[in-house]
Amino acid sequence: MCGIGGIVYRDDAPRGSHPVGDGLIKMLQSLAHRGMDSTGVTVSGGVFEASLMVRLWVEDGYILESVFSDVGNAVKEVGGVIGFKETKGRFLRLGVTSECDVRALADVLFMLEGVVVHSIGENSEVIKDIGMAIDIDGRHNVSGLYGTHGIGHVRMATESIVDITHSHPFWAYPFPDISVVHNGQLTNYHKLKRHYEGEGYQFQTQNDSELIAVYLADKLFQDNSLEDALISSLDDLDGTFTFLVSTKDAIGYAKDRWAAKPLVTMETDSVVAVASEEVALRSVFSDEIRRIEPQQSEVMTWQV
Amino acid sequence: MASIGVMDASEMTTRELNALLKKASKTEDLIEITNPGARHNIVVGILDECHIKINGSVGYYSASLLDGPTVDIDGNAGWALGENLMTGRINVSGDVGASVGASMRGGDLFVGGDAGARAGISMKGGTLLVTGNTGFLTGFMMQKGRIVVCGDVGDAVGDSMYEGIIYVGGEYGSLGSDAEVAEIDEDELLDLWSLLDSNGVKSKPDFKKIISSKRLYHFDSLERLELASV
Repeated sequence: MCGIGGIVYRDDAPRGSHPVGDGLIKMLQSLAHRGMDSTGVTVSGGVFEASLMVRLWVEDGYILESVFSDVGNAVKEVGGVIGFKETKGRFLRLGVTSECDVRALADVLFMLEGVVVHSIGENSEVIKDIGMAIDIDGRHNVSGLYGTHGIGHVRMATESIVDITHSHPFWAYPFPDISVVHNGQLTNYHKLKRHYEGEGYQFQTQNDSELIAVYLADKLFQDNSLEDALISSLDDLDGTFTFLVSTKDAIGYAKDRWAAKPLVTMETDSVVAVASEEVALRSVFSDEIRRIEPQQSEVMTWQV
Repeated sequence: MASIGVMDASEMTTRELNALLKKASKTEDLIEITNPGARHNIVVGILDECHIKINGSVGYYSASLLDGPTVDIDGNAGWALGENLMTGRINVSGDVGASVGASMRGGDLFVGGDAGARAGISMKGGTLLVTGNTGFLTGFMMQKGRIVVCGDVGDAVGDSMYEGIIYVGGEYGSLGSDAEVAEIDEDELLDLWSLLDSNGVKSKPDFKKIISSKRLYHFDSLERLELASV
């Protein structure tokens, strides 16, 4: 079991003025009973003083200083200029101020031993760690992150190891600002993973949910709309799933043909919220707003 | 004059709430629960006749394992509301999640809004009445009782049902395995309309009746008690 949630603010307020991090943390904490292994969020629509924001984590057993210096060299190697750098323990947040090809940057970072790239985004960043929502908020100040939209996940592991790398959300290498959270299990994971590896995509984990991110990235790369990509996922992905995807300017969901995993949604003129359970919606929004439970084989997207 | 107990759910754990409720249900006639906050397992295992009013939404498996009480929920409910209902009545003003009335044996369950997938799954008696629509696999493996849906029903309605009847007021997506549409007679229709009327539903849908084709299971092998009555 896992819990997922998402928020989209779609009023006229300036970009980056909405408490997306705070809303996601409240929703995910109220879903703590659905998973306490790890928690993660994507906060999108933020205003960065950089052209690209990189979030990465250094695996245990590697010397931090030496890996950080390798990272700096790797960024320079592809023409990137590091504008600012924040570290929290083994986590690194890096603002790249020059124009820089995301795939090239991701590829050099993927080559580095001990480095796990959580996200590379133009307006979004992925924060994920072991523990409940309040734990990761305490460590990473997620509730201090503002934006226009975002998604989040609490994990009760079923398919792969409990660690930071295998926590959600999964970034859709090599596309900036696309990430996925998933509740469910994919049964054609190995088959599809082999296929996409053959196509040149890189996987950083053994988690089946990472495949959804790569799958959607591939569909979007082939000029499918987000909605079309979600619709085709209903046939191409096998197993049980309700997943959320966040892009530069939208979030969307797909719910499998068995309606095996829950989701409720609520919508007003100014905000949309979705979550595994109503308790998460009510932790942030009024009781008065009607919530809808999507049926089987449904997809939906909301623009910021 | 009925005595009234009020419980603020936000001030106690779910376990404390249900323990207090169980005690109160033996002495109070009317119990109100405030601030349920869409939490799971609110009102479980009450075996006495009493009236419980919940002001707000509840989560999964709420109003379940009940035998006797009348429960009014002014809000929505999550998955498996009214699971294993034996006798009594549950009214929800809003929408409910998947598997409403799962394995219910008797009693009445009324939903004012829509229901999710697998409404009335493995139902073994009683009446499940949904004013709005229901989802995929409505009446899945149903064994007895009746499901009345005034609105539309999703795909695979009545899949693998043994017995019981599903009435659909609107359209259904598709029939499930071993389900078929049967003729509905006028008395049956009048009976359904009177059921709706007594629940405050003013519409008079032209119900379709869905039953089991009985080709999937061995219906000639009876249970011990059934054999005794043959």
